[in-house]
Amino acid sequence: MSTFIQTVIVGLRLGSVYALIALGYTMVYGIIRLINFAHGDFIMVGGYTIIFTVPLALALGLPAWAAVLAAIAVCALVGMGTEIIAYRPVRKKGTNMSALITAIAMSLFLENLAQAIPAIGPNPKVADQMFTAGGFRIGSVTFEYTTVITIVISAVIMVVLYMFTQKTRLGRAMRCVSEDKAAATLMGINVNHTIILTFAIGSALAAVAALMYMAQYPRIYTTLGSDLGIKAFVSAVLGGIGIIPGAVLGGFVVGLFESFTTSYISSSLSDAVVFLILIVVLLLKPAGIMGKNVGEKV
Amino acid sequence: MKKTKLLSLLLALCMVLSLAACGGSSSGSSAPAESSGDAAPAASGDTLKIGVISPNTGNLAAYGTGIHTGAELAVEEINAAGGILGQQVELVELDDRADPTECLNAFNNLVSQGIGLIIGSATSGATSAITGPANEEEVVIIAPTATADSITTEDDYIFRVCYADSAQGAIAAAYAKTAGYDKVGIVYCAGDVYSSGLKDSFSAACAEQGIEVVATESSAALTTTEYTNQFTAMVNAGLDFVYAPYYYDVIGPYVIPQARAAGYDGVIMGADGYDTTPDYVREADAPAFNNIYWTNHYFAGDTSEKVTSFVAAYKDKFGSEPSAFGATGYDSVYVYKAAIEAAGSTDPAAVRDALADTSTVYECVSGTFSFDESGTPVKGAPVITFKDNGDGTIGMELVDVVEASDLA
Amino acid sequence: MKNNKTAQGILLNTIVIVVLFALFQALTAAFGGAGSFKLVLVPSLWQCCYLILLAASLNLVLGFLGQLSLGHCGFMAIGAYTAALLSLACERAGVFTDKSGAVYILIIFACILAAGLLAAVTGLLVGIPALRLKGDYLAIITLGFGMIIVNVINNLPFCGQDGLAQGSAAASLYKTGLGFGSKAKVTYLWIALLVTVLCVTLMFMFVRSKYGRAIRAIRDDEIAASASGINVSSYKVLTFTYSAFFAGVAGALYACATSSLSTASFAFTNAGILNSTFVVVMVVLGGMGSLTGSIVAAVIMFFVNYQIANGSWVAALPPFLNGVFKYPMLVYAVVLIVVIIFRPRGIFGTYEFSLINLAGDIRRARVRRAEAKAERKEAKAHA
Repeated sequence: MSTFIQTVIVGLRLGSVYALIALGYTMVYGIIRLINFAHGDFIMVGGYTIIFTVPLALALGLPAWAAVLAAIAVCALVGMGTEIIAYRPVRKKGTNMSALITAIAMSLFLENLAQAIPAIGPNPKVADQMFTAGGFRIGSVTFEYTTVITIVISAVIMVVLYMFTQKTRLGRAMRCVSEDKAAATLMGINVNHTIILTFAIGSALAAVAALMYMAQYPRIYTTLGSDLGIKAFVSAVLGGIGIIPGAVLGGFVVGLFESFTTSYISSSLSDAVVFLILIVVLLLKPAGIMGKNVGEKV
Repeated sequence: MKKTKLLSLLLALCMVLSLAACGGSSSGSSAPAESSGDAAPAASGDTLKIGVISPNTGNLAAYGTGIHTGAELAVEEINAAGGILGQQVELVELDDRADPTECLNAFNNLVSQGIGLIIGSATSGATSAITGPANEEEVVIIAPTATADSITTEDDYIFRVCYADSAQGAIAAAYAKTAGYDKVGIVYCAGDVYSSGLKDSFSAACAEQGIEVVATESSAALTTTEYTNQFTAMVNAGLDFVYAPYYYDVIGPYVIPQARAAGYDGVIMGADGYDTTPDYVREADAPAFNNIYWTNHYFAGDTSEKVTSFVAAYKDKFGSEPSAFGATGYDSVYVYKAAIEAAGSTDPAAVRDALADTSTVYECVSGTFSFDESGTPVKGAPVITFKDNGDGTIGMELVDVVEASDLA
Repeated sequence: MKNNKTAQGILLNTIVIVVLFALFQALTAAFGGAGSFKLVLVPSLWQCCYLILLAASLNLVLGFLGQLSLGHCGFMAIGAYTAALLSLACERAGVFTDKSGAVYILIIFACILAAGLLAAVTGLLVGIPALRLKGDYLAIITLGFGMIIVNVINNLPFCGQDGLAQGSAAASLYKTGLGFGSKAKVTYLWIALLVTVLCVTLMFMFVRSKYGRAIRAIRDDEIAASASGINVSSYKVLTFTYSAFFAGVAGALYACATSSLSTASFAFTNAGILNSTFVVVMVVLGGMGSLTGSIVAAVIMFFVNYQIANGSWVAALPPFLNGVFKYPMLVYAVVLIVVIIFRPRGIFGTYEFSLINLAGDIRRARVRRAEAKAERKEAKAHA
């Protein structure tokens, strides 16, 4: 029984991180229909920013996690910069595919740029403790507070984002842009501003995700983005990419499946199983668990 | 009509190939044209060139940095003392990014420059791509840290200054036996050759020693972040000794803190991958680092004169404590020096013959050893333990030195 | 007239190829078995051969069919492991005893063919479900597939530590199986060249056939293609399978050239240029929809990468440039972004090199350039 509880807790721990990252993927995809491959690397950028600003935060008498504020600012800037320098010109000229390839190139660029910066380098770094350690016990198993915080943050962000896109003026503009850019322009929406705002929000989410990731798994390295991003991205697709609650659901599904595979099937095949589930789900429901199949316009 | 173009592509291909041909040859322009290519002359003028292949960029850059800085230190010392056989030594350093293809390219490049003595590479995967060709080209290779058993067994020209995986597994099993554990578990990474190689050799050694491997769990890749479930399984199996051959950056932040959090309080034993772990631990996790043992190539805290002077010189030159990679890179150069002086020549074949003499004893930072028939050192290994200093840092202590004679 | 030109084209090309090949053989005879010819040039050609096949085969899917596949090296891994295992099995069964002679050559070709076929079968099995999905989803499925392959191969007992992944494997591949040493690479270079030329010809024939026209129609407008009676799914699966075959062949050549296999070499990203990401980079740089472009890009990529790692001139550069070259991947990423922004369809676009049309192409290009110049002049005059 304790194995079962432990497995569930581990699943939630992994899932909470995946969910938080998947929210960022979904946010951008929902608006401009672009898989932002560089999103994982924004997390890496956020992570290093946190590592470098924690001493500053501590010197100012703030808790360590306050460094996330700096990370949010840096990530938002990097996100907006990426959109302006790389994505926008391609979106104007190229096809969907060239946008996707630009995203891959951007990811490659950020990873290698980080490696070329002497203060970062190719060696991994280990983050400080972000939150007070501890947890409550279920039977013989400890449920860490950090995991609880991550789950709560994911839920809060999910609700806030959902309300934002549904209820506010800017949110409505975003949904409008995602449906039809030309029509949105005619309605007086500044499409470029809206997309930049989307990137800013999505990248800021990456900074928060970086904080929660490092609080639980304190190692950070330059190619972290690809490794972590792929799983999170699978989560977003599984839940139905572009759908905000779907990302969170997908994250937890992937986390739990991974954990249960490790405990009960084969620990070394967990990656294969995660992708197998993705493939099966997509074949049964091509738009993801919460996605709706939309007929094609001719 | 469009079909006419079809074969023209073949032409394009040929053109392109010949283009590559021009390019390829230009890079090897420094090769002596008269070289037969087989037994390449080693010396040119008054300098002796030794090639170093190591992963200097990419994820394993830390290994490469260790190896080539160690080798540079040794060369500096040797040159200051008058060189080898009166010749100054020059290192030709190439990067293989821990990739077999790149390693083979670097090897071919060095051989085409007429270099017949090579140090490299860090990983078994990359090194195994050059062992066969080295034998064919009659070029000597000393591998600083390639530990896969088969690296030296198949070919005559390949030597190394580290022990093989099987020896490391055997040392761990011997340690478990002396410490009184007859039931053990293994947690390893199935996607990594180093880790799965050590797992294989450890379980083989356990079978020999009469130790029962009760539970074996694994992780898919080195990027895996969760090890809690694996150690819960170890707790459920009632084990007090787990062999977990991982690298420092997985052990420090993930494996050990999570194992302790999962309620596993027994011994965790590892291998040379644990080197430099204390740099990768959160302060808050330090209390978890007790009851952890690992085998290494050398112990930096060793008080012997050889080690202390090496550590001091390295710190002086590079500003940091040398890793085991630094030590083996340093040793590789000195082994060459001893062999060349014994052979009285820098000719690769003569150096090989000198190295193949199993009675020669080499006194190195990473132990005093002689080579066995295959070219792997016969040496013991220090067993080191981590110790929580109580102030958020982790110390190391030498527990035992398992001698090669203990293993037979 | 039409037949006449086809015949002329085939004749012209065959003659040029034969002449080039004869020249090459003469050069081999002159310099073979010595110095940098054996150690630098020939291994480089082997690497170019499999990179060319890999990039060109991905171009079928990415450039001509218009579907992004991020797991192409997975097929290559299957090919490499199939060829290696088969050659080892043959040796153990005593089909060949020494690494020379007609039987051995036959085995090499059998291994290459088997590698292609098994990769193609896998391509079919992956393609049937995966190609029901579109664009982004397909990308992620193929990425997942690439990872599953690596994960599964790592877990196969006969591919692991005692089999093929490392060490013992390298030695046994080199000694008994498919792996070639430096001399064997020179001896059997003709196999690599022949296989590459043959495969590129097959790919070229494919894109010029009615199948090629159909898949380009699908790329340009799937709905319109389907309305014109093209069976979209079966054409997609066909192309995917066909492409996987050549990736498998590339894998077999890789096994010959490297004689040491590890799954890390076929991952989504790694430190080298042989991975699923960089194949996409090669195809995009060369031009999506131009086999010529893929070939050129593969060779240039190899050459640049080789020179950065091994060129003696790199050390002579000023420190700043030298520093940049320590991070070649960074340079590739920037180049890729720039190319995508300014030439979204790659350097060659959809241009194909053709000997018989070369004169015409050059004339047209000159006319176009002259026109552009005149236009600029006129615009200047107006201003």
